[in-house]
Amino acid sequence: MRSIALQNEIIFLILAVLAVVSSIVMITAHRPIDSALSFIVTLISVAALFGLVNATFLFVVQIIIYAGAILTLILFIIMFLNIKDENLPDEKYKNLWLLGTTLLILPFSAILIHLILKSDIALNSATDESFGTIKDVGLTLFSQWVLPFELVSILLLVALVGSVTLSKRND
Amino acid sequence: MLKAYMILSIILFSIGMVGLISRRNIIVIYMSIELLLNAVNLSLIAISGDLGDSSGHVMSLIIIAIAAAEAALFMSLFVVLFRKKGSLDANIFDILGSKHES
Amino acid sequence: MSHSILLNILLLSPLTSAFLIFLLTISTRYTKQTLYTFLALSGSGSSAVIALYISYMSYFEHKLFVSHLFTWLNISDFTIEVTLKADALGSFMLLFVAPVGFLIHIYATGYMHKDKSYGRFFTYFNLFIFFMFLLVLADNPILMFIGWEGVGLISYLLIGFYFDDIKNTYAGNKAFIVNRVGDFGFLSALMLLFIEIGSGGFSYHAIFSNLSSIESPMLSLIALLLFVGAMGKSAQLPLFVWLPDAMAGPTPVSALIHAATMVTAGIYMVARFAPLYTLTGDVSLLIAYVGAFSALFAAIVATRQYDIKKILAYSTISQLGFMFMALGVGAYSTALFHMFTHAFFKGLLFMGAGAIIVAFHHKQDIRELRGIRKSVPTVFIMMLIGSLTISAIPPLSAFVSKDAIMNVLYASHHLDLFLMALLSSLFTALYMFRMLFVLFFSETTHEATLEPSRNSVKSMIYPMAILTLLSIFAGMLNLPEIFGGNLHISYWLDLADRHFVLSHTNEIVLMSGNTLLILSVIFYAYKRYAYNDTILKESNTGFVANKFYIDALYNMIIVKPLYLLSVFFDRKISHELIDNTIDLMAFNYRKLGKFFSILENGNVRFYALYMLIGLVLGFIYLFLLLKAML
Repeated sequence: MRSIALQNEIIFLILAVLAVVSSIVMITAHRPIDSALSFIVTLISVAALFGLVNATFLFVVQIIIYAGAILTLILFIIMFLNIKDENLPDEKYKNLWLLGTTLLILPFSAILIHLILKSDIALNSATDESFGTIKDVGLTLFSQWVLPFELVSILLLVALVGSVTLSKRND
Repeated sequence: MLKAYMILSIILFSIGMVGLISRRNIIVIYMSIELLLNAVNLSLIAISGDLGDSSGHVMSLIIIAIAAAEAALFMSLFVVLFRKKGSLDANIFDILGSKHES
Repeated sequence: MSHSILLNILLLSPLTSAFLIFLLTISTRYTKQTLYTFLALSGSGSSAVIALYISYMSYFEHKLFVSHLFTWLNISDFTIEVTLKADALGSFMLLFVAPVGFLIHIYATGYMHKDKSYGRFFTYFNLFIFFMFLLVLADNPILMFIGWEGVGLISYLLIGFYFDDIKNTYAGNKAFIVNRVGDFGFLSALMLLFIEIGSGGFSYHAIFSNLSSIESPMLSLIALLLFVGAMGKSAQLPLFVWLPDAMAGPTPVSALIHAATMVTAGIYMVARFAPLYTLTGDVSLLIAYVGAFSALFAAIVATRQYDIKKILAYSTISQLGFMFMALGVGAYSTALFHMFTHAFFKGLLFMGAGAIIVAFHHKQDIRELRGIRKSVPTVFIMMLIGSLTISAIPPLSAFVSKDAIMNVLYASHHLDLFLMALLSSLFTALYMFRMLFVLFFSETTHEATLEPSRNSVKSMIYPMAILTLLSIFAGMLNLPEIFGGNLHISYWLDLADRHFVLSHTNEIVLMSGNTLLILSVIFYAYKRYAYNDTILKESNTGFVANKFYIDALYNMIIVKPLYLLSVFFDRKISHELIDNTIDLMAFNYRKLGKFFSILENGNVRFYALYMLIGLVLGFIYLFLLLKAML
C-alpha cells in the first residue's frame, strides 16, 4: 500500500515538474509556434494528472478536445497566417516585464499557498469503482446538470456562427 | 496529496497570469488564458475526487466545452486582426484609449 | 366732516396732477405745453387756495382740521394711523408753503418754457408739493418721515434734472447720500422712541404725553439723533456740503426746494418736537451752537463766491443757522417767523437770479455779468429790495424777524451766540451787497448781451412782484410790542416758547445798533465793489475761497477710502482671490484628469495588469486583516 502511495507521489512530482516547466517555456518563447508546442506538453501532463485522481473520462476528454482540437486549431492558424519574423512584435523589455509581474503576483500566490498548507484537507481516495468513469459522469451530467448542458450547446452554436461571420471577407 | 494538487493549481494559475500580462504577442496571451482555465480544471477535479462527487467532473467538462467555443472565436479574431493590421502586437489596438481623444 | 375733505383734497390734488402729467409724458410724444401748464397750475393752485382758507380758519376761529384716512399698521400695541392734522403749526406751515409753491410754479412755467422735459419737470414738482404737504400735515412721526424721505427723493431727481451732464447726477447723488446720513439719525431716534414709549401709541400727542417717562440720558440721545436728521435736511455744519452742489438743478428747483420749503423741514421738525427739546436743555444749546457756527461759516464763505446761485445757497445755510440759533435757545415762534419771511425774500432772490441767468444765455459768474442794470431794470429793483430785506434794514420784513432773533439771543444771556449772530448778519450784508454792486453798479462788460425778450418773461415777473410785496410787508404779521404790534403769529402758534424779558430800551438800543452797523457795512461794500474792478482782482484761491477745504476734507477722509476699499474688494478679493482660486481648482482638475487618463491607454494588457494589482492588494489586505485567525 505504501509503495503505491509513494509511487503515486513520484509520478505526481514528475508530472507536476513537467507541467510547470513547459508552461514557463510557453510564456517565455519568442516565436508562437514554440509556445504552442510547449503548451501541448503542458496539456498532456495535466491530463495525466487528471488520470492520477481516477478521473478517467476527463483524462480522455482533455487529450481529445484540448490537446487534440484546440491546440491543433491554434497550430493550424499559426501556420496559416504565415507569420514572419517582422510580423512579430519586438518585445524589448520582455524579461523585465516577466520579472516584474512575477514579483507582483508573488504575494498573491504566497498567501494562497500558505492558506492551503495551513488547512487540514487530505485526499482520501477511497471511493467506489465507478467514480470518474464515463458512466458516472454521464449520469450526473444528464440528471443534475442538464440545463447547463443545453446552454452549452447553444453556446457552441453561437460560437460556430460567430466565427464564420467574423472572418468573412467583405466582397 | 490534495494539498499538492491545489498548490500546483495555484502555481499554474500564477504562471498563466504572468504570461497574460507580460507578453505582447496576442497568441501567447491567448494561450496563457487557456493555461488559466486548465489550472482551474485541475483544482476542480482534485477536490471532486476528494469529495466523491461527480459534479466537479461535469463542471470541468463544461469548462472545456466553453474553452473550445472561445478558441474558435479567438482564432477567427486573429485572422481578421492579422489581415487588418499585419502585426501581432497587442499594443497597437488602442483606439479606445485616451490618446485618440481630442 | 367737511374739514377733513378739504385736507384730503389739499393733499391729493398735487398728487393727482403729478400722476396725470406723468401719464401724458410717457404716452404721447407731442403734447401742447399749455396742457401740462394747466394741469400743474391747477394742482398747486387749488391746494394753495385751500391752504389759505385753512390758515384763515385756524387763525381767526382756532379751528382744528383732522382727517383720518386709514389705519396702516396694527400690531399688538403698535399702531400707525394715517391721519392728517392741521393744527396751528401745521396751518402756519401750509400758509407759506402752498402759496409760495404756487407762485414758483407759475415762475417755473416761464423759466422752463423751452425745455424739452417740461412734463417730467412738473411731474416732479407737483410730487414734491405732495410730499411736503404730507410732511407738514402728518399726525405721527412715521408719516412725517415718509414725507421727509419723499422730498429728499424729489430733490435728488430735480437736482439731477439735466442728467446729460454727469456732474449734475453727482450733485444729486451727493444730496441724497448726505441726506441719508441725516435720515439715519432720525430713524434711530424714532426707533429709540418706539422702544421706550411705543406701547402708548405713536402719534405726536401720544408721544409728548409719555415723554416724561423716559430717563434723561436717553431723552438727550433721542433729541440729538433727531437733530442729526435736521442737520442733514437743513444743511447745517457738518452736513451742509450738498446744498451748494445742489445749485446744479434748474433755478425754480433751487427757489422752491432749497430756499423756501425742503430745507425748512428741519426747522419744522425741531419746532414740532418742541416739548422734547424743552426737556433737554443741553441738546438745545448744542443746536444753537451748531446754528451759530453754520451761520458764521457760510456767511464768510459766501463773501468769496462768484456764482450767483452759490452765493445764495450759502446765504440759505447762513439764514437757517439763524433759525436754529433761535430754536436752540427756546424761541420757537421767533425761529418760525424768520422761516416765514425767509421763504419770501429768498424765493424772490432766487427767482431774480434765475431771470438773470435765463436772460444772459445761462451765464452765472458775477464777474462776467457786471453792469446789467440797464438791461434788466425790473429785476434790478426786485433784487435790490431782496438784498435790503436780507440785510434786515427796517422796515422790511426780515428786519422784524431777524432782529427778533437777535433780541432773543441777547436776552438769553448767551453773549457768544449773540456776537456770532451779529457777525453773521454783518457778513450777510457784505456778501449780498457785494453781489448787488458788482452786478448792477459797474460798468457794462461786453460779455453781457441780452437775449431778446419773450412772452414767458411775464410769467416770471409777476410772481416775483408778489414776492417782493410780501418781503416788504410780511413783517406786519408778527410785530413786537414796541412797534404797536401784537405778536400775532406767536400767539397763534402757541408753542412752548421760553419767555424772555427784555426791556424796551434795550430793544431799541439793540435794533438801532444793528441797523447802523449794517448800513456801515453796506457803505464799505459800495466803496469796495461799485464801479471798479476789485472783483476781478480778488484771488479765488486761499482758505475762504475754497470753502475752508471742507469738501476736500470729506473727499479725503470719507469718499476716497470707501472708493479704495471697494476697488480693493473688486480687484483683489473678487477678481484675484475668488476667481483665480476657482480657476486654479478647475485647471488642476483638468491636469489631474489628464494625468489619470494616461492609465487609460486602450491596451487591454494594462487593464489586466490593473486588475491584478487590485486583486493582489485586496489579498494582502485580507491576509493582514485575518492574520490573527490563521
